[in-house]
Amino acid sequence: MLTPQELKTLQKTALQVRKNVLREIKAGKMGHIGGALSIVDIVTALYFKIMNIDPKKPLMRDRDRFVLSAGHKCLALYAVLAERGFFDHSVLDTYGSLGSKLPGHPDMHKLPGVESNTGALGHGLSIAGGMAMGLKMDGLGSKVYVIMGDGELAEGSNWEAAAASSHHKLDNMLVFVDRNSLQISGRTVEVMSYEPLEERWRSFGWGTRIINGHDIETIVKAAEEFPFEKGKPSVVIADTVKSKGISFAEDRVDFHYWKAKEEEILQAEQEFAAIDRRLEE
Amino acid sequence: MSESKDPRKTFGEALVEVGEKYGTVIAISADSSGGSGMTPFKEKFPDRHLEFGIMEQGVIGFASGLATTGKIPFVVAIAPFVTARPFEMFRNDLGYMRQNVKVVGRCAGISYSDLGPTHQSLDDVALIRTIPGVTVLNPADPVEIKKVVHAAADITGPCYIKIGKEKMPVLFEENYPFELGKGYLVRDGKDVTLIGTGTVFANAHAAAEALKKEGVDVRLIDIHTLKPFDSGIVLKAAKETGTIVTVEEHYLAGGLGSIVCETLAREGVCTKVKMIGIDDQFASNGPYDDLLGLYGLLPDQIKETVKGFL
Repeated sequence: MLTPQELKTLQKTALQVRKNVLREIKAGKMGHIGGALSIVDIVTALYFKIMNIDPKKPLMRDRDRFVLSAGHKCLALYAVLAERGFFDHSVLDTYGSLGSKLPGHPDMHKLPGVESNTGALGHGLSIAGGMAMGLKMDGLGSKVYVIMGDGELAEGSNWEAAAASSHHKLDNMLVFVDRNSLQISGRTVEVMSYEPLEERWRSFGWGTRIINGHDIETIVKAAEEFPFEKGKPSVVIADTVKSKGISFAEDRVDFHYWKAKEEEILQAEQEFAAIDRRLEE
Repeated sequence: MSESKDPRKTFGEALVEVGEKYGTVIAISADSSGGSGMTPFKEKFPDRHLEFGIMEQGVIGFASGLATTGKIPFVVAIAPFVTARPFEMFRNDLGYMRQNVKVVGRCAGISYSDLGPTHQSLDDVALIRTIPGVTVLNPADPVEIKKVVHAAADITGPCYIKIGKEKMPVLFEENYPFELGKGYLVRDGKDVTLIGTGTVFANAHAAAEALKKEGVDVRLIDIHTLKPFDSGIVLKAAKETGTIVTVEEHYLAGGLGSIVCETLAREGVCTKVKMIGIDDQFASNGPYDDLLGLYGLLPDQIKETVKGFL
């Protein structure tokens, strides 16, 4: 449970992470904004409340792991890692430049804190499952956290990983499905529906929960209470809004990848400033 | 004829040896353990043998994740199912992530001769050698199978090892000079160089012996490491013998012959090269030796090809 002060602090941090995302977009003039902003509240809760990590020791053996299976949402990962102190904020300004440490999909060999090279969809859950297995074999209590996209679930390899994680009883793994309900071609249920998601995951042997993916208190509660069922991996289906926080981009498919105009960035900055003022009240 | 050994059984023995050497070696099965010679490992190290069922994409990712925690996973299954099928997982999760995973494709080439092209693997070297940082190994006899398995376990980084199905004659002494990344000069010669790799190296070896009896002084080179490739041994052979013939159970595109030609072209060396292998077609099906015969890979055929090329 969070105290009101803790909650307020996390909400302010999430806003700062959103500002960092916008800073990257400003540098690169384009990027996968929609999915990045839909997971900001989840990554903020994980990196600032839940995970056992140390920015000064990014390879600490018993650290918790985070795998961003939907690697295109990496603007949020870079933003939260900078905010947590894994590297200087100025690195965010290199997004989009030649040889930047912030590629359009994350590279573990370029930045401290990045645990895997994702981007091709349908890879992250298997990699995370292997991590969870290895940590268990070593008798470590470390946890593995994963964020997947809802559109990503159409990749069949995910369901191989879902079955294996259940078969091998990887109850040290918590997956968030970022159900923002949009993918590049339209509404996920219209492009290729994997609904009802909860039933599918349950039938694969997972403990499940559905939450509001922007309610930090609920995110923290779920992460603190997993595994939801003993001996089973856990999945949170997080209902989110694509591009959350920028009114003109929210829930719009054309902001999956944003080629940002200067006036749009200015408006987004003003909207974030307004949220800032509300949080200060 | 010298003693012959089952390559899968030999691989299984080698896996137990590296398992004893490194407590972090893990065997990963995609419903492929028994057929891959891993039963002894499973019996000796039950906690380090992980079964996943028929899940060849998934196992590569799981192996990558396990490797991030310091394990040395050996993923072993029928060659096309750990190369062509999960190619993107191999490329990204092992190559791009630089993970210390050893993938072993068994029953490679056309050794699943009766099962047809779905189970044959004539493109594995061509595919996997495009992945930066992956060591590609193709042992020529049972002694060399053990050498490459140990070498793969000793180095840090992704490896692909291909082994066949049919029994292989023992060609090399236990203490022969094996060095990862270096070709092995089996016999010197000045008329022509015969370069072989993997399962059909023994046939190249037999052809060289026969040619010698007919007065052709053949230089014979075994390439067990296709990547990183020993350019030096090929350039020296081109300079000293001129003509080169390559022998492999693989498509002509992308395999040993291609690598030799790329090496010569990059260095601007003009040398006659004949590539023996399978050209641009899905292979036929039938008895293994009949198939080898269809593609000119039997010892007498290799011998005649060399003679006709001189």
